[in-house]
Amino acid sequence: MAASRKPPLRAEALLAASLLTPALLLVAVLLLVPLLWLVWQSVRQDGGFTLAHYARLVTDPAYGATFLQTFRISAIVTLACVVLGFPVAWAAAESGPTLRALILALVVLPLWTSVLVRAYAWIIVLQRTGLVNSGLEALGLIHRPVILVNNEFGTIVATTHILMPFVVLPLYTTIRTIPREVLAAAASLGGTPAFVFTRVYLPLSLPGLLSGAALVCVLSLGFYITPELLGGGRTYTVSMLIARNIALYDEWGAASSVSVALLACIFLIFFLAGRIVPIDRIVGTR
Amino acid sequence: MRAASPARIAAFLFAGLVLLWLILPVLIVIPMSFSDSRFLTFPPKALSLRWYHAYLGSSLWLRATRVSLGVAAASAVLATAIGTAAAYALNLSNGRAMKLVKLVLLLPLMVPIVITGVGIFLVYARVGLLATLTGLVLANTMLGVPYALTSVLGALAQFDPAQEMVARSLGMNRPRAFFAVTLPQIAPGVLSGALFAFVAGLDETVVALFISGGRYQPLTKRMFTALRDEIDPTIAAISTMLTLVSCLVAAAVMLNARWSERRRGVRA
Amino acid sequence: MTARRACLCLALLLGAGGAARADDGITFVSQGGSYQAAQTQAILDPVARQLGISIDQDSAPDAWAEIRTQTATGKAFWDVVDMPAKDCARGGVRGMIAPLDYAAIPNARDLPDAYKTPWSVAYEFYSSVLAYNTDKYGDAPPRSWADFWDVKKFPGTRALRDNPLATIEAALLADGVPPDRLYPIDLDRAFRKLEQIKPYITVWWTSGAQAAQLLADGEVDMEMAWSNRVSAVQREGAPVGFTWNQGLLQYTSLCILKVSPHIATATRFVDAAIGRQVQADLTRYTDNGPGNPRAYDIGAIPPARLRDLPNTLDNARRQALVSTEWWSSPAGDEAMRRWLTFVRH
Repeated sequence: MAASRKPPLRAEALLAASLLTPALLLVAVLLLVPLLWLVWQSVRQDGGFTLAHYARLVTDPAYGATFLQTFRISAIVTLACVVLGFPVAWAAAESGPTLRALILALVVLPLWTSVLVRAYAWIIVLQRTGLVNSGLEALGLIHRPVILVNNEFGTIVATTHILMPFVVLPLYTTIRTIPREVLAAAASLGGTPAFVFTRVYLPLSLPGLLSGAALVCVLSLGFYITPELLGGGRTYTVSMLIARNIALYDEWGAASSVSVALLACIFLIFFLAGRIVPIDRIVGTR
Repeated sequence: MRAASPARIAAFLFAGLVLLWLILPVLIVIPMSFSDSRFLTFPPKALSLRWYHAYLGSSLWLRATRVSLGVAAASAVLATAIGTAAAYALNLSNGRAMKLVKLVLLLPLMVPIVITGVGIFLVYARVGLLATLTGLVLANTMLGVPYALTSVLGALAQFDPAQEMVARSLGMNRPRAFFAVTLPQIAPGVLSGALFAFVAGLDETVVALFISGGRYQPLTKRMFTALRDEIDPTIAAISTMLTLVSCLVAAAVMLNARWSERRRGVRA
Repeated sequence: MTARRACLCLALLLGAGGAARADDGITFVSQGGSYQAAQTQAILDPVARQLGISIDQDSAPDAWAEIRTQTATGKAFWDVVDMPAKDCARGGVRGMIAPLDYAAIPNARDLPDAYKTPWSVAYEFYSSVLAYNTDKYGDAPPRSWADFWDVKKFPGTRALRDNPLATIEAALLADGVPPDRLYPIDLDRAFRKLEQIKPYITVWWTSGAQAAQLLADGEVDMEMAWSNRVSAVQREGAPVGFTWNQGLLQYTSLCILKVSPHIATATRFVDAAIGRQVQADLTRYTDNGPGNPRAYDIGAIPPARLRDLPNTLDNARRQALVSTEWWSSPAGDEAMRRWLTFVRH
């Protein structure tokens, strides 16, 4: 009887395989195969092997500039998300249940708002005649409008806005697990608040921080809509480069080598971060 | 517990400002949608329902809305079924192979969406799925599977597999044991996975830019083109309605979470 | 049971994707916004009634990429496209656009040969003009591309189109090339001149309505924009103005996708859409000029409207006509390639 309750391992494996098949098939056909095709395409030209598409990444200054700008935006956005997100996560962890629920709701609400909607809102807020400029002018802080949108700045503001919840949520979860006694002990042993924060609080919240930061960094590297709508044609990200090369110029070779390079960067970041925090936990926040 | 030190107050204030910044777009878009002017002046000088009329009077926008809702619903259902099956399988064993499979299934969340879009475009161009509803649904299902997967895995982690064993030892076959015992208990996880997949499908833009066309263009593709071309407050009106829908779904998720907490409380 | 019903619903939903369009109908593609709305009233709706066909509409700022896809997959969901004449010609050469059966398009006889290619007929005229904010410049606005390039005399934010078409011509005019000596274009000279203004360009716009928006909302003080878009926001009360002086006159054309399954109906549509009456009516809804010049002769356009239309004799004299022939030649492709590097670098 025991055998019927515990089916042999083979049957178990067969069941697992058949349950996994639809999902794996979908991802394989719609994602893995095309990715491999892109890799193949990136070393082909006129029916032969070539590294010309990769050479162009180095020799054509326009490609280098695009990668540089994308990485710069990603770095700034990640930093901004951490600096702005940490106090929010901390405040949520320190508050009573009602205030905490409110804070978390405000963090999550934007996640439920379309990216396009938010791009539209930032155009209204940041344009030359927008809220920020008219506010600053009314306060007498500036005399002529500052250009805040249709450039890299506007792109960074909107991207940070979209990605910040991905830092706050894992960070909040981690901070909540820090035992209060540890902090109290550190303080009672004579640690100044600054000491307690940098030596105890920060290290203990590091896994959440790192997981959030890695996710934001990677996601911002792949951003397309925000720079397209808020960049004013002067902010070119790698994603835009890929899309343009295909839609406008029919350059599959260039598009695929750029894609492969971007993917390599992203998997490297995941790999490095994955040595400290499991990757599925990093991605799971999304 | 601790005295309200100046540093503490400052930190709370700072957090408050950041939160204000986070909800600012929603606060802007809603009044904008009632503007009576074509231009993006904020606050609007006079109020009207002009842009809601513009939306409701446009067969293009309405058709796009139907496409979006249909695609999001269909792909959420499919993604949830596929993702739940996969999560159940992954939960059976803890081997290295399973870890790898899980990573592969999470790939759609890791690959930049433009590259995913280009890839799906390549496949569809071969098999004639460009500009079809089927194509949109399949693509959004693939993108939705990870949401269902992680959500159901979370629920399964809290579920005691011994219960299903007991049911089976009482003579139920495996599928029956799953539907009678396991599914009801992981239902909140399944539901929130479905809701996430639905909202993700509703919001998906980039892949649609590559693969949709003709009659079957989702709302987001039309909105993107409109934002690039003809920025007028019709977008704000649509945005307001979209935000409303999202908030309803969000409320559903929260109620669902509370419901599952209570159930767990009963069990404990 | 419920699962089966859900499957059935899904199948129905998906099945709708395969539903074919009524046979006597076409899908017409233009560039959206108020421009397309005007066509709907003046041309598309009347022509649909006249021919007894249904006309579905779509819009795309980059029709070229979509057409290439539909050609590659052999599956057309578009039939007639309104796009720059040079793209029709390029598409014709590459087998993406069907050659027109001129025997079935009698109205094409109204058009001078210069407005026709084997694949396309002129549909409407527009102009890339120098537009500016009237609040900012008052009585002394910029009047030429040389003024646009003069950042000392005319401070302010500027925008140009993220496309070499007409932008390159403007650079050469600013550099002192006479309007009748623009072609063949000296690309080196044009890009040298463009490099000078590049640091002062706040936005590189990608669509006509976006350009109008930038100006109307005060995001830029002066820019190259399409005349009909500028006059449209002018009428909405925006403080903007423009000059016909050194405007770059262009026209879009109608052409038919080679993979279109409705070529006969599409050809009937093309003929009707360039008829004198509907072409004259177009000017009642938008400031685009008729592609059929005989529309000016039938007395259907009030004299007061002539001031705002780009291709009246008076206005055209102050502008330069962009050469479709040059832009559909290999030199035009070369200009596109160099543009990508120029604007991104």
